[in-house]
Amino acid sequence: MLAKQPVWQTAKRIDAHFHVSDADPGAGFSRSSGKLDREEAERSLRQAGKLGIEFLCTSFPLTSESPTPEEVRRANDVTLEAMAVSERFLGFCYLNPGYTRESLAEIERCIVDGDMVGIKLYHQYRICDPALTPVMERAAELRVPVLMHAGKGRDTETQTQQPRLSDASHFVRAAAIFPDTMLIHAHIGGGGDWEWALRHLEQRPPNLYVDSSGSVVDAGIVNKTVAAIGLEHVLFATDMSMEEGVGKVLDADLTEEQRERIFAGNMKDILARRRV
Amino acid sequence: MLFDINTAIGHWPFRRVPHESPSELRAMLGAKGITGAAVAHTHGLFYLNCHDANLELAEAISGHADFFVGVATLNPTYAAWERDLPVCREKLGLRALRLAPQYHGYRLGCPESIAIAQAAEALGMPVLLPHRVVDVRGRHWFDTEETIGFDQIAAFCEAVPEATVIVTEACFYRDALLGEDGSVRHRNLYLELSRARNGMCDLPAEIAAERMLFGTGAPLKSISPALLKLELAEVDDPGRQQIAWQNAHRLLGIAPGRP
Repeated sequence: MLAKQPVWQTAKRIDAHFHVSDADPGAGFSRSSGKLDREEAERSLRQAGKLGIEFLCTSFPLTSESPTPEEVRRANDVTLEAMAVSERFLGFCYLNPGYTRESLAEIERCIVDGDMVGIKLYHQYRICDPALTPVMERAAELRVPVLMHAGKGRDTETQTQQPRLSDASHFVRAAAIFPDTMLIHAHIGGGGDWEWALRHLEQRPPNLYVDSSGSVVDAGIVNKTVAAIGLEHVLFATDMSMEEGVGKVLDADLTEEQRERIFAGNMKDILARRRV
Repeated sequence: MLFDINTAIGHWPFRRVPHESPSELRAMLGAKGITGAAVAHTHGLFYLNCHDANLELAEAISGHADFFVGVATLNPTYAAWERDLPVCREKLGLRALRLAPQYHGYRLGCPESIAIAQAAEALGMPVLLPHRVVDVRGRHWFDTEETIGFDQIAAFCEAVPEATVIVTEACFYRDALLGEDGSVRHRNLYLELSRARNGMCDLPAEIAAERMLFGTGAPLKSISPALLKLELAEVDDPGRQQIAWQNAHRLLGIAPGRP
């Protein structure tokens, strides 16, 4: 009997970085009720569909300083509920790696048992922090990617509000520390000095990828990202800025074959490595 | 037809930007189906005497009158704006006025900004206000960190109710256009759509059609995101035409039949 093919196998566009919302409108991303805003999730699916985005790698990260294991579980419950709403949501398991034992248990619950396909980290620790070692090693064993919030904010607000924000230099260092783990530098267009990031990323660690998401659509951003890190390491993503995400890839000076790699091919290669 | 309310020519000093000349910009916009554009001169943000940038702009676009509509940039706290503004409209043919307080060192709503907006209205020129020009999170050390907040813009609209105010690069939509009870606020306020989200679904379709204008931010920004926002806007086809070009043509006084 043939093995069941993954649902994303024939997808033309896979969003490597997306988020759903909490049912409690006051929660934002600072806490979670554990319940999904279904209406918003369904609207996102419709909007994504209009833009040809078939699958969305989805997580619910918490932006507070150090979420407790219970808060993290509630956040992941939101993602699991989204996955139950539609198989188009491919779950990424959010973790606060400061809680090692609980993080490893959450990987078992969400990835091994819950069918999530990756790990999502926010700014609680820098990506090259030794505290991440157990999580990174488990991700390498399961061959699932680690998508981490990133940026090089040159504005006062970012610098004061996100003191442990990982930048591209941290990712290059982490890629060497955790050579067997697939790392994804989030949103090159997430609002920061993306050219500074690319000058670091052009060192091209083989296990490091960049997602194209974010609201920034500066002319040339996708082409420069490809030139810096290589076509095979650029992943289409929106981080909820959907028209921006699709539009900047459409505007990039690429062949259709190259565009297909970014829109889906590279992410499929990553997802196909999963061993759970 | 498709009219872009938010473009610029001239050198941006903090990043390499292609298509900075009128011919290059026109070709790039045209290739995406855009048939006309309001264009300001980037130098106007940086010159002390920014009227020189208006002279540069008029000269640069003189061979493109069938495509570009010039947007003057003036600093109302600098010398001689009272003489420069009529020159911009009557001699240089520029049809709108851009104010950039975050680049020119004054606060929107100061007496000078009110005075220039009133003078612009008397000349039939809408006032363009960039909420920002580029994302300040990636700013150069010499670039401004300031954006024009919605509160300032709302107060400005109330202070000059007779003026037409078009905010480019806006990130506020429903709150700017509608009160808590859904009633229309600031009947003189219009917003460019390049940062709108979710098909503008938080706006009633008729409000979106009346108050939104298509704009890209080219050549600093990619064009297709704005095109997709227009395409996905939750409005009917007549409403989409209003956003695509009719609102801009009406506000800028562009004669019927022009692209």
